[in-house]
Amino acid sequence: MLRTVQLILPALIPSWNFFDVIAPSPRIEYQLLDKTDAPLCDWKAFRPRPEKLSLFTMMKRFIWNPHWNESLFLVSCAERLSQNITPEHSTREILTRLKRDLQAETDAPQFRFRVAFIHREDETLTQEILYTSAPEPLA
Amino acid sequence: MTLDFAMRWTEILLAIALIMPSVEHICAGGKERALFGLRLILCVLLLFPDISAYSAYICLAISGLAVLILHRFEGPYNGGSDRMSLLILFCLTLAHWLPRENWKELAFGYLGLQLTLSYFISGWVKIRNPDWRSGRALRDVFAFSAYPVAENLRGLADRKNFLLAGSWLVMVCELLFPFSLASKYTLIPFLVLAASFHLSNAMFFGLNRFVLAWIAAYPSILWLQDRFIGG
Repeated sequence: MLRTVQLILPALIPSWNFFDVIAPSPRIEYQLLDKTDAPLCDWKAFRPRPEKLSLFTMMKRFIWNPHWNESLFLVSCAERLSQNITPEHSTREILTRLKRDLQAETDAPQFRFRVAFIHREDETLTQEILYTSAPEPLA
Repeated sequence: MTLDFAMRWTEILLAIALIMPSVEHICAGGKERALFGLRLILCVLLLFPDISAYSAYICLAISGLAVLILHRFEGPYNGGSDRMSLLILFCLTLAHWLPRENWKELAFGYLGLQLTLSYFISGWVKIRNPDWRSGRALRDVFAFSAYPVAENLRGLADRKNFLLAGSWLVMVCELLFPFSLASKYTLIPFLVLAASFHLSNAMFFGLNRFVLAWIAAYPSILWLQDRFIGG
């Protein structure tokens, strides 16, 4: 019951402080591993955004945009994970989607993911790794 | 505009706003498919004119599902847009079930008030931040935030004057929103402007769920203006 109240209250009394500060931004990256946990490749961005989108695609995504909306949910999970808010849930949600995508494109036996946060220091963009998962089987 | 008319339009717009997200989750699979399947059916029912006599029950059922969905994702799936949808849903449900007319007005008027605050507070927190006043914050949004939908949009971060003007346009419009309540002839153009703002966010940042979620709250502010200010 208490948890339900905690979940509902921010909707009933919203803060509306959208983009008040531009906080460090999370990126989810993954690395494929062999059976001995040795890396098979460098860290790669999970669901990298395309170089450009046509106006037609942008308009289409106004109606139908499940992939992007799911990616935004994973951004929320990564933020929660870094703040230690429901970390088991966030890890599970990220792993489930990584597994689903990676199983379709690789035969590697294992993978792991990390959450990197990008922020600006003066005029330079810097990256900080705040979480790295344990190896996870892909099969 | 009567309270019943405004509530009915809010129901219709909210149902439309929730239909596509429900379909997205159903297509994605997972355990939540049953929850969103049921929500889809209820939202479609809410669109039928003949069913409006039962809309109080439908809103209550969708509210129950909303709580289960909040538990499933340990919070809103898509942040602000889901929070606005929930606020609309809870205010509508309360307005349906509260026994006295002035209590119903209070519940529905709260939605209109929150819509006004959603713009005003967004502008207020920005203008207090020196990075927003200098255009730096909007440049950061394009430079490294998770939102730009394509890499080439990050190049906009270098257009300092353009983003400085954009920052001030957004802040001034958000802060002026409460003054648009003075008349329906100022409110309606402001709502068109605000909807265009949400549309541009959908195109540049992929925040498509915000557009219909915020538009679904517009009848409440139109009713509130007409009920307490008029003109």
